[in-house]
Amino acid sequence: MQARSFARPRPAGRQEHAALEASGTGRSGNLERTAWLFTRISAVVLLVMAVFHLLYMHIALGMDAISFQLIAWRWQSPAWRLFDLTLLVFGWLHGANGMRIVVDDYVHSPVGRIVARTLLIAVTATLIVLGAFVILSFKAA
Amino acid sequence: MAAIASIFRAVTYRGREGQIAWMLHRVTGVGVFLFLALHITNIFLMSFPSDVFNSVLVLYHNVLFKLLSIFGLYLGVLYHALNGIRVMIVDFWPGASKYQAPLWRIQLVIFVLAFVPSAAIMLTRMY
Repeated sequence: MQARSFARPRPAGRQEHAALEASGTGRSGNLERTAWLFTRISAVVLLVMAVFHLLYMHIALGMDAISFQLIAWRWQSPAWRLFDLTLLVFGWLHGANGMRIVVDDYVHSPVGRIVARTLLIAVTATLIVLGAFVILSFKAA
Repeated sequence: MAAIASIFRAVTYRGREGQIAWMLHRVTGVGVFLFLALHITNIFLMSFPSDVFNSVLVLYHNVLFKLLSIFGLYLGVLYHALNGIRVMIVDFWPGASKYQAPLWRIQLVIFVLAFVPSAAIMLTRMY
C-alpha cells in the first residue's frame, strides 16, 4: 500500500493553474471534468424532478394507492413516460457516477477495482435497459 | 478492510461540520442508490401481468417499509439535495467557502423546516 500524505497541498497560483489546465488534456482528465459537470447538471434536474416525484407519489397519491392500475393510468400519458424516463436516466447515472467515486475511495486493489467497476457498469446497463424497456413498451391491456 | 479502516478514521477524525456534511452526503447517496436499484427492478415487473406487480406491493404496504420510505428514503433525498445545493454554491462561488460552517447550519435549519411538515403529511397519508 502506498504511504498517504496528509500534507495540505500548496495552493496553485494563476499561472500554475493555466499550466495544469493545459497539461490536463489527457483522457482521464477530461473524463473527470465531464463527470464533475454531469454530477452538477443532473443534480439540478433531480432537485426538481426527484423531489417532485417523491412528494407527488407520497402526498398527492399516497403509498396505499400505488398499484399496477395506477401506473398503467399514469403511463397513458406520453408526458409521464418522458418524465419517468428522464428520471430513470439522470437518477441512475448520477448515482452510478457517485458510486464510481465511492468505489475508488474504498477499493484499492487493482483486481478489486476491475471487478467493482465491471459490476457497476453491468448493473447500470441492465437497469437502464430494463427500465427504459418497460416505460417505452408498456401497453395497457 | 479498507472500508473498516475508513469508518474508524471517519469517527475519530475531528473534521467538524465539513466532515459530518460530507459523511452524511455519502451515506444518504449510497442509501438512495441502493433503493433505486430495488425500485427500478420493481417497476420493471410492470411488463408482466398485473398480479405479478401487485403481489410485490405487499412490501410497499408494509408499515416498516412505509416508515423507512419517509425516515430513510425521503429524509436521505432531502438531505442529499440540500447539501448538494450548498456544495454547488461553494463550487461556483469560491468566496462562500469561508462561510461553509454557517452555511451548513443554515442548511440544517432549512432541512428541519422542510422535512417536519412534509413528513407529518406523509405520516397522515399512511392511514
